[in-house]
Amino acid sequence: MDALIAKADAQGPRQKKRKIFHDNTSDSVKQRTQVPKSLQDKDLALSVPAHKHIANKKLRTELVRNATQAARAKTLLEDAELLLTEDAGLMQAEGALERTWRVSQSEILEGAGQDSARGRREWKLDGGPYRSRYTRNGRHLAIVGSMGHAATFDWLTGTLHAELQLQETCRDITFLHDHSHFAVAQKKYVFIYDRDGVELHCLKAHIEPTRLEFLPYHWLLASIGNAGYLKYQDTSTGQLLVEHRTKFGACSAMAQNLHNAVIHLGHQNGCVTLWTPNLPHPAVQLLAHLGPVASVSVDPSSGGRYMATAGRDSTVKVWDCRNWKGAVREWSARGGAAEVEWSQRGALAVASGGTVNVYTSPTIQQPMDGRTQPPLYITHPIPQRPLTSVRFAPFQDVLTIGHAAGLSSVLVPGVGEPNFDSAEADPFENRKARREKEVKALLDKIQPDMITLDPELIGAMAPESKLSTTTTFDGKPAKGSETPFARLPRIERLRVQGKADESEVVDPDDTAPDGRKLTTEEKERKKMRGKGKSLKRYLRKQRKNVIDPTAVAIRAKLEKQREQRKALAQEKAGGEPRKPSALDRFARG
Amino acid sequence: MKIRVLQHDPAVHLPQRPGDPTPTSRNLDPLMHPFARARERTRALNAAKMDRMFAKPFIASLEGHVDAVEVMAKQPGSLTTVASGSWDGGVIVHHLGRRTQLLHAPQAHKGKISGVCFSREGRLFSCGVDRNIKLWSLESSHTENPQPVTVFNGKSAFNSIDHHNSDPLFASASNLVQIWDETKSLPISNLTFPTSTETITSVRFNLSETSVLASIGSDRTFTLYDIRTGKAERRVVMQMSSNALSWSPTAPTSLLLASEDHNLYTFDIRHLAAPTQIYKGHVAAVMSCDWAPTGLGFVSGGWDRTVRVWEEGRGQGAEVYHTKRMQRVSSALFTADARFVLSGSDDGNVRVWKAKASERLGVVTARERAAIEYRESLKGRWRADGEVGKVVRSRHIPKPVYQASKLKRTMLEAQRVKEERRRKHTRAGEGKPKAEKKKLVVVEQT
Repeated sequence: MDALIAKADAQGPRQKKRKIFHDNTSDSVKQRTQVPKSLQDKDLALSVPAHKHIANKKLRTELVRNATQAARAKTLLEDAELLLTEDAGLMQAEGALERTWRVSQSEILEGAGQDSARGRREWKLDGGPYRSRYTRNGRHLAIVGSMGHAATFDWLTGTLHAELQLQETCRDITFLHDHSHFAVAQKKYVFIYDRDGVELHCLKAHIEPTRLEFLPYHWLLASIGNAGYLKYQDTSTGQLLVEHRTKFGACSAMAQNLHNAVIHLGHQNGCVTLWTPNLPHPAVQLLAHLGPVASVSVDPSSGGRYMATAGRDSTVKVWDCRNWKGAVREWSARGGAAEVEWSQRGALAVASGGTVNVYTSPTIQQPMDGRTQPPLYITHPIPQRPLTSVRFAPFQDVLTIGHAAGLSSVLVPGVGEPNFDSAEADPFENRKARREKEVKALLDKIQPDMITLDPELIGAMAPESKLSTTTTFDGKPAKGSETPFARLPRIERLRVQGKADESEVVDPDDTAPDGRKLTTEEKERKKMRGKGKSLKRYLRKQRKNVIDPTAVAIRAKLEKQREQRKALAQEKAGGEPRKPSALDRFARG
Repeated sequence: MKIRVLQHDPAVHLPQRPGDPTPTSRNLDPLMHPFARARERTRALNAAKMDRMFAKPFIASLEGHVDAVEVMAKQPGSLTTVASGSWDGGVIVHHLGRRTQLLHAPQAHKGKISGVCFSREGRLFSCGVDRNIKLWSLESSHTENPQPVTVFNGKSAFNSIDHHNSDPLFASASNLVQIWDETKSLPISNLTFPTSTETITSVRFNLSETSVLASIGSDRTFTLYDIRTGKAERRVVMQMSSNALSWSPTAPTSLLLASEDHNLYTFDIRHLAAPTQIYKGHVAAVMSCDWAPTGLGFVSGGWDRTVRVWEEGRGQGAEVYHTKRMQRVSSALFTADARFVLSGSDDGNVRVWKAKASERLGVVTARERAAIEYRESLKGRWRADGEVGKVVRSRHIPKPVYQASKLKRTMLEAQRVKEERRRKHTRAGEGKPKAEKKKLVVVEQT
């Protein structure tokens, strides 16, 4: 048996660290030289949180390991730029006198390739004004005119999927998860049609809808109507999830934040409210404009950080969604109410009066005094007023404007994301890929109650608890004496939760006639005789019998402090301390 | 003016020829993947639920015994041959793949069969309380009433038998451990701890250091012997007696004990003062245990009518197997390919279970394998999430077992509270709490 033990001992623990290759030359140099601090590799281990508040060593190590791995993955993401093969569009002034906004569509068309030139279109249609919506991959377009003309088509190839004459007022249109279904906000209800234009559902719960939004990762169709009710319909199960009474009346401005699925509503009284399905009241409410809010849009390029609003007071404002204290930038748009829309790369289109103006990213968000308009990137006149919708096509440099006489789409170089991800949205996907994606998306459907303002909440660590279960004098946790919450006595639990009534019980017997508190001796002296004294004394003794190390420590500390205070008071009083006398007990006060 | 308009080249994004795979493009920018974490959590939750949905571990029940199955043994080097012995004295050798019987000796011994084991050549040893050890050959098994090849007579009832890993030796346990040669009719040596007066209930040879063997006794002890020195090397007295023991096939110093106190213990025989790990879960005495041939886990069967499959080093959260008709499990066994688990119980059946409850039997394609592995890693990553963790952890267990575990928890809690109060009322520093591992061993004797 000793042989076995010896053998097992000789094995030793497995080497956990990977072997590091040593270069003799560099090792010899390393001892005498030093790389400047700016050039040193930033150690990943320093940047990750240490999770010091976690007592369990195993768990802590695992958390640190995970965090390190996440940090490393983040740095390695830079290498993934290799996968980005396509270049974004751009328009740059070369001379000092050139201005990008002076460039007209015809000039842009000259410089555009044959495929991208297809983005410049004019659709002359009756029954306007029109609204439009692209699918998430930017391949298909749905349009609807207010007189009831609705159509969906693949705008790249020009294939028409469906064309409907609905013969009633239509106010909005949206695709559902992909181009196989679309919903139209009609005069009375919301209707869902399939790709061929066959009516599938009439959502009678959505009454007089004005705007529609579809949350693709949650499979929710949100609608707002003239009655001011925000309704969420789950399109995967068909149930009406929730309806929120906004209490702001009719509403005609709605947008979703792509990154946290929060619905932004702009109301008649100038308020903008942010809604999630699980809150019966707005998560955020702000007074954005002095008149009704005409249009709202959220910037997808900054992770949903900025919001743009346009009001009937003919101003456009840009807001920081992390700090609602005043607009980041505001300017007045000519011609009354404007329509606003952000592109994937952070360009802002503002359609007002008879023109569409596009502003580019960094200058829109830069705070500026006064009401100066940010530098204009591109402007395009459209005489057919009113302009009722602006939509950027995803993954294209195309802006589609709906107006009274149909739709016109213009080229705006540099607004579309050049590199798409096939797993998310692919303009070139075939039928099989679309079907597979539909199934996968259904499996990955996120529960609606997980919509929050902060999308990073899911999977994040819970914040360190401020509750402490130790009873120490100074309130700092004592080492090794932390009792689990579940094992604390009830009164202690309440104390830890902050629910215990810790106000001192004032016994009328304990106060002197002048309101001063009596000392223990005085109390003893003044006490009424014959009230079960012996039992109480016995009980008091019993209580003293409990030796609690913390209590002992606290008592000692208190004693020490009391003595110090006494000494200090004596020093202040000056002179020698008076000796206690037996007659003190008769002294007043 | 420099103007460039974004243009996707269809030639890049569409297949060149019909039948080609469609090219995919990737963009790893986090902004392109909204709700990545939330979606991954949903996937993890689905993975956990799927795992529970497909958890159908029971495969087959091998019948044939007329009384409770007491012991089982697998043939070394064979994936399918397993012998079982029952209380009525019957021995059956099962073929797991075909679910047939290779040998059926209904009256192998008088009284209960207390041990079976295979020799290297594939012959079967059985011992019983009738003071006999019988050697059976599997070749002559087709007769109606097979006869043993050899019979070894002992002086007292045998409780266990185990074969040496390479030599033609075997050890038997009665009131002492005896080493026998296959060719000799009398034991070649007797091993016993000098002061021992106990009954040895089980004996097992170490699998890699083949001359070392361990035994457990009725006196709450386990003893280590070396047949080269021919004496007992160590003896450990514990709080409660053990019912079964098993040597780890991959870590030669690791020994597993199934204890009467509802727990299992692994000991490193170099440090016998405390177990390396306590495995808690059973709500009644653990009657048997067996390591997986990989050494990464083991199976145990208990008086609480459950079979539990454990991971090495993880003291709780074992997989629980039970059926309505399975009674007290007196023997449990891992098969040689570590994919299946066998249990022999009081109802006279040998049951075959999957070692991983939701594993898919049959051919698994590479794509499917990748999906399975992805799901596994998701479950691991989101284990700390409340909902996912709950699905992963929760098991449906029979009501009596559930009630027993509840009662046990209450009792342990009461004990702990009492201990805590007692400590509070003793002088500071006197009533120090003792680690549970340290409480176990009473004394270690050499």
